[in-house]
Amino acid sequence: MYVPIALMVVFSFNPIRSLAKFAGFSLRWYQALMGNRIVWEAFFNSLWVAAVVTLVSIVLGLLMANAVVRFRFSGKPLVDMLIYVPVIIPEITESLSLLMMYVFINFPLGAWSVIIGHAAFSISYGVVVLRARLAGFDTSVEEAAKTLGANELQTFLKVTMPIMMPGILAASLLAFTISYDDFIKTMFTTGPGFKTLPLIIWFSASKGGVSPELNSLSTFAISISLLFAFARMKISGIKW
Amino acid sequence: MSTRREYLKVGVAGALGLVVGGAAGYFGTSAEREALKSELESLKREAGIKLEDEIAIYNWTYYINRNLVDAWAEENGIKLIYDYLESNSEIYAKLDTGASGYDVMSCPAPDIPTYAERGLIEEVDMNKIPNFKHVPSAFKGFSWDPGDKYHVIWSYGTTGIGWNGEKVEPEITRWADVFEPERQLGKYSKKVSMMTDPTETLGAALFYLGRDPNSVKDEDLEEAKEVLIRQKPHLAKYASTEEFMEGLKTERFLISHAWNGDVAGTKYASDERSVIMEVYFPQIRYTVPEEGAYAWYDNLVIPKGAKHREAAHAFMNFTLDPRVAAINAMTIKYPYPTGTQYVPVELAKDPSIFTPEELLRKLVTYASFTPEERVKREEVWLEVQAA
Amino acid sequence: MAGSPSRLAPSLFFSSLEKFTRKVRSSKRLKVALLLGPPVAYLMVWFVAPFVLTLMYSFDLVTPNRQFVFSPSLQYYLRVMGWEGVFKIFVRSVGYGLLTSVVCALLAYPAAYYVSFKCRRYKDALLLVFIIPFWVSFLLRTYALMGVLAEEGFLNSVLLWLGVIEKPIKILYTQNAVIIGMVYNYLLFMVLPLYGSIEKLDKSLLEAASTLGANPVSTFIKVTLPLTMPGVAAGFLLVFIPAVGEFIIPSLMGSTETYMMGNVIWDVFLYTRHWWLGSALSVLFIIFVLSMTMIYLKAVGAEELVI
Repeated sequence: MYVPIALMVVFSFNPIRSLAKFAGFSLRWYQALMGNRIVWEAFFNSLWVAAVVTLVSIVLGLLMANAVVRFRFSGKPLVDMLIYVPVIIPEITESLSLLMMYVFINFPLGAWSVIIGHAAFSISYGVVVLRARLAGFDTSVEEAAKTLGANELQTFLKVTMPIMMPGILAASLLAFTISYDDFIKTMFTTGPGFKTLPLIIWFSASKGGVSPELNSLSTFAISISLLFAFARMKISGIKW
Repeated sequence: MSTRREYLKVGVAGALGLVVGGAAGYFGTSAEREALKSELESLKREAGIKLEDEIAIYNWTYYINRNLVDAWAEENGIKLIYDYLESNSEIYAKLDTGASGYDVMSCPAPDIPTYAERGLIEEVDMNKIPNFKHVPSAFKGFSWDPGDKYHVIWSYGTTGIGWNGEKVEPEITRWADVFEPERQLGKYSKKVSMMTDPTETLGAALFYLGRDPNSVKDEDLEEAKEVLIRQKPHLAKYASTEEFMEGLKTERFLISHAWNGDVAGTKYASDERSVIMEVYFPQIRYTVPEEGAYAWYDNLVIPKGAKHREAAHAFMNFTLDPRVAAINAMTIKYPYPTGTQYVPVELAKDPSIFTPEELLRKLVTYASFTPEERVKREEVWLEVQAA
Repeated sequence: MAGSPSRLAPSLFFSSLEKFTRKVRSSKRLKVALLLGPPVAYLMVWFVAPFVLTLMYSFDLVTPNRQFVFSPSLQYYLRVMGWEGVFKIFVRSVGYGLLTSVVCALLAYPAAYYVSFKCRRYKDALLLVFIIPFWVSFLLRTYALMGVLAEEGFLNSVLLWLGVIEKPIKILYTQNAVIIGMVYNYLLFMVLPLYGSIEKLDKSLLEAASTLGANPVSTFIKVTLPLTMPGVAAGFLLVFIPAVGEFIIPSLMGSTETYMMGNVIWDVFLYTRHWWLGSALSVLFIIFVLSMTMIYLKAVGAEELVI
């Protein structure tokens, strides 16, 4: 399982262009990477897009999760469908439909078209995680706070949120990672000149063959992904 | 007469000097600068027309020697606004408004008839473009502008075959070489790639069959399909641009369906301001097949509402000047139709830059396909893929 | 003067706000509406609407001028279904999907079984170790695998060095590479449900079987396997469904023979830009996926999807 990735990491330090012979340790590809403006731009794009997507997903996800867990209402099965269908639908068809809609309404393609698209399924993931957390939530704590005189807002900020925090963080990291790593949807909904890291990796990888520059870029991207993943694991305490 | 011969001497000497001496900015030596300056002076005097004091140009990146343009603007006392575009949609966006803010713009050939019809580009006054006489006849009277009224040819590109000159023999000269297993296709089986673009690949098959590459007739497409299916087992892959260029470099592919610009771009260094004659990958060669090939043409047009028409015409005339065109070709490694006589031989004879004269007339530009027509080609494409 | 507009406005605002919050507090409906409003609206606009648009195009309810007309027609569906090329490629994709699922199952089962039964102490850690590579994005994993399978890549150099082969074998850019790539990328989706299913096995049943005289093999065949079938089925579908629609792996690692449904959808949409046919094709594909999902839900019982 690890072999391919480990190899990529190891060979990213290989000063010659080969995957077979290791000719000593070298940082030269990383140096080249440092100087590559396009890559850095894409990296920052990935980051800020993921940040916005996370924000939107968490806010909307929280609202939705709260509604679904705390209340019974008619039409709940429909809402459930709304939550799960984005996850089931193949990403390529979803992305193409969204692109069609963007073109139809003359929505400009660029950073925002990407963000909106990512959030459309990130919300679902967020809801699922938050919902699990909320389901086990003991509302008596909130009741207690209210009897002690706190109003809605105060209860929410001082009681609910802190208890929800681990769940919120877990959901945030999940949404962030999904957006950061996303390729298919981004590929279809992006506009001229706006690239994220996965797109750069794709264009490089589709050249065919292996390139040490891509290895170092990938190693870099992997370490970031792993960082987020470990953070997620730490926070949620579950093995995901 | 004598000035021209002197200039030729200077030009050739300069180019030779560069080839021998390696990378040096064209405007490095003052002698050359002086020589060029005097030519530009004479251009200005020849025109004898009062030009406006400003010009706004919208063109692709890396498409002209910037020093040249700057020098021209300076000599004529014109303030230069030169903006870069990076995609066709930017061109359309500007032209569609009818108030682009530019005096000269780049425009792809297929779009010229529609824009002319809608009145969004203006007629070019050919009387103000005396250098038009230098344009080879193969570049006049195109179907998309029969009267040569709306454009001035800028550059062009072709789709042909890129191949490894060291490892492939005999030389690739025709589409048959890549479509017939008895020929190089079979000899270098699994080392050949075609493009993933149905238009290009079907077009290539149609050229091979001697048909109209833009055809959407059932019989033509059926036969093209058979040709492609016969070819498929010998192909390594249907490759994208980056893939086939990388493949040619690493010898993963020895023969690839390719665009000349990509081959030239891989082989030669190019810089916007200076002529660098370094050749990487000299073994990669490019051929425009004898049966004919697709070509695209880029042009300069005057958008509606241009404010500085005299300057626009002067600029267009300037770009057609053979010496200017030659310098551009040497800088950017793209073909500029006039001035091939001044371009160093190895560039002028390189098919990845200039298409040989006898083949210029066999170039066909892409039709503007309707979605329905594209579907027909796609259907064939899918059947080839499924085979 | 008292009650001047500038002082009236804010107090009007706050008093109506108070009335509003009181109303909200008392009405459950209003609360739900407020909570659900924004997210549902968002999803309606950016998820449901595009899909509806696609449906409309597929049924020929839209004109090229982007007007809606009532002229429903199945012509595009019929046309797409009549495309011989598409049908063959669909069959090919299903074939690859099945093959991938089977290989995944064959690989995952022994591994999950071993970890669950034999590695009491470290099983959670082992599972974690297995999952970590999957935190890396799909694209990166695929690219890393390309490096291993390439002709000048790691696998070949190891095999050459070991003397197992004399010439590098061509794996990358073949059909095998695509299968290997898909198995590598989707293995997790097989392992997890399978592992869960095996873990949930009531071990006492196994003991009972052996007490009754069954040997390990027949216990496995007659007790373990049937009981873990839901896990296998779940894993199977979680691998099969995305595998059929794959286009990244065939593009990057495949050959001229590995053109799959995902590639078809891509090309039809982006090359022909014929929204109507593309939509019909998309809808057909979605129907396929949804029906497979229905089967999954039936097989596993309509539990909530495990992500």
